[in-house]
Amino acid sequence: MGCSVACIAERGWTAPERSSAVDFALIGHQESWRAAADVLAVLRGPEHTPLPDDEVKDILPWIPPRAVCHVEVGSISGVKARGLYIDSFIPPDCLDAACMHDNLTRVRGAAAYAINSGARIVSLGGFSSILIEGNFDHLPERCDSVFTTGNSLTVAFIVQGIEKMCALQGRELRKSTLLIVGATGDVGSGCARCLATHVKRVLLSARNVERLRRLAAELEAGGVKVEIATGHEQFSAQADLVVCAASLASPSLLLGHIAPDAIVCDAGYPKNLAPCEQAPGIKIFFGGLGQITGGLKFAPDFHGILNRHPFPDVVHGCLLEGMALALDGRFEPFSQGRGFITQDRVEQIETIAAEHGIYLAPLYNADGPVEDRLSIVRDRNRSAIA
Amino acid sequence: MESVIGVDCSPAVEGTSLSPSALIWQDILAQAMTGELIAAMNYTSLAEMCDDPAEVAEALEHAQGERGHAAAFASEGRKIGVPVPNNVNARHWKRLREAFLRCIAERDFIGCLIVQEIMLESFAVASYARVGRVGPGSLGKTFAAIAAEEEEHIEHAMEILRMERATDRKAFDEKVHRLHLDVMTTLAEMLAKDCRTGHCEVCHGSCVKPSLFEVSLSAAELRGASLQQYLKSLDMLGIPGEVTLQWVAQLPV
Repeated sequence: MGCSVACIAERGWTAPERSSAVDFALIGHQESWRAAADVLAVLRGPEHTPLPDDEVKDILPWIPPRAVCHVEVGSISGVKARGLYIDSFIPPDCLDAACMHDNLTRVRGAAAYAINSGARIVSLGGFSSILIEGNFDHLPERCDSVFTTGNSLTVAFIVQGIEKMCALQGRELRKSTLLIVGATGDVGSGCARCLATHVKRVLLSARNVERLRRLAAELEAGGVKVEIATGHEQFSAQADLVVCAASLASPSLLLGHIAPDAIVCDAGYPKNLAPCEQAPGIKIFFGGLGQITGGLKFAPDFHGILNRHPFPDVVHGCLLEGMALALDGRFEPFSQGRGFITQDRVEQIETIAAEHGIYLAPLYNADGPVEDRLSIVRDRNRSAIA
Repeated sequence: MESVIGVDCSPAVEGTSLSPSALIWQDILAQAMTGELIAAMNYTSLAEMCDDPAEVAEALEHAQGERGHAAAFASEGRKIGVPVPNNVNARHWKRLREAFLRCIAERDFIGCLIVQEIMLESFAVASYARVGRVGPGSLGKTFAAIAAEEEEHIEHAMEILRMERATDRKAFDEKVHRLHLDVMTTLAEMLAKDCRTGHCEVCHGSCVKPSLFEVSLSAAELRGASLQQYLKSLDMLGIPGEVTLQWVAQLPV
């Protein structure tokens, strides 16, 4: 794999010259080979048969970072913004620490492409932001483009989702025990700052104990009692509200003896929870997603391919942040670095997004929409009681 | 298979035992030599088409250089005790030559540069560089050195082609796409992991591709590197990446 990416960097890879400037660029990657195959199938068009899986796996790692499609987003105010979706073509099975160097090279290539395209603001999706949230120096010289990890809006939608799910379940947030898995990451720590004062008890889990201690100290300075652990296993049974925001290469997290009525927000990209965790149930939902109500167009048409959700125009919060800022004419590096997301910043970005008709997406999980099933269960319970 | 262009390719040492991979290298060298001879023929045709004495001289110089590369590959064959045949009439190579000759017939200098320097040389640079990394001794060094020389050709042509594109981007991009459909479709069939359409008429026996792993290569790697180099060359021309990605995605596998 290193071979395929080495040539992207060697002899100074150059993105195509700027043709016409765009308002924003979204840098992303596919989280599964199925998704990657679907992207290539759209590019091949209906007159060509889709590539077999083995060919997809052979070809994709050699594709240099580049635009896949044009994106146009509309605001409910009538404003429109034009952008590009740029794929770094990180192979889906290389989303782990072992491939860090290669992946950074790809993200840098994608960033160079965005700069060269004249994008005024660039949102870093999925692993792109995880890879460089700790060090923006890894990005190319920025010229006129600004970069945002988009994590503030992701946090906003996670928090909104938690609140909505609690309301749907008739649960009180203030009586909940909150566990955040991956608590020291940018998204995890942002969620901790936004939710800690609203719950009864806070449990934080992450691999780096020093970072955990620092975050706990910060929260405790605000009057919140915090318990920490480098493994989440000891906390799983105690939590009735879980946010999974760990950086994992694939859905592999097992929560173990989780409380039977716990609400679980899987905010990972790729998803955190192992498929066996996603047994039919109504309490797990995928967090951090927003929905555009002012219109979203792709050229070529990648609807349902680049945004693989059961509802229209749903996009990850990290990418939506760049779009919302572009619609607002605010070309600023709103979210940068790790650990700087505060409740105030989250409220700012969710206000900007809402002004342009970008709201929390309907909740869903691997089994489909959550809210419909919650209504059915609620109706059944009412019937049973009657 | 008959060598149609004479390059001294007799084995230097008769009767010596061959290394287990010698026959694999023989096929790799045969493909490379055939490609170099096609390139030499293309540059000679280009020289015949040009009116400007400087362009004629440059094309002839390139042709001579490509023949030198072919001779170098023949020499590497001798060193490992195998003859290096060539077949410029082999099915894929013949089609590539014909595509170039169509540009010549149309007196399309820019088309000739696109076919030879952007498409065929991208393939040569990338695949030679890969072979150069794993080839034993001087064989590997020869491939690596020729890859570097071929890359200079691309850079030189790039200046001319960029200027041409600046005059009319749409017409230029349409021309590249038309030539892509012709030439790159053939190259993609050549580079496919398996020769599904029959024998390539260059390999000395059965297809060499399934054996490439024995010399730390693979058909998928050579194809991937070639297409990556091609995309990078198109990027340097300034053709939008989302357009070229679609072109490459639609190639046969």
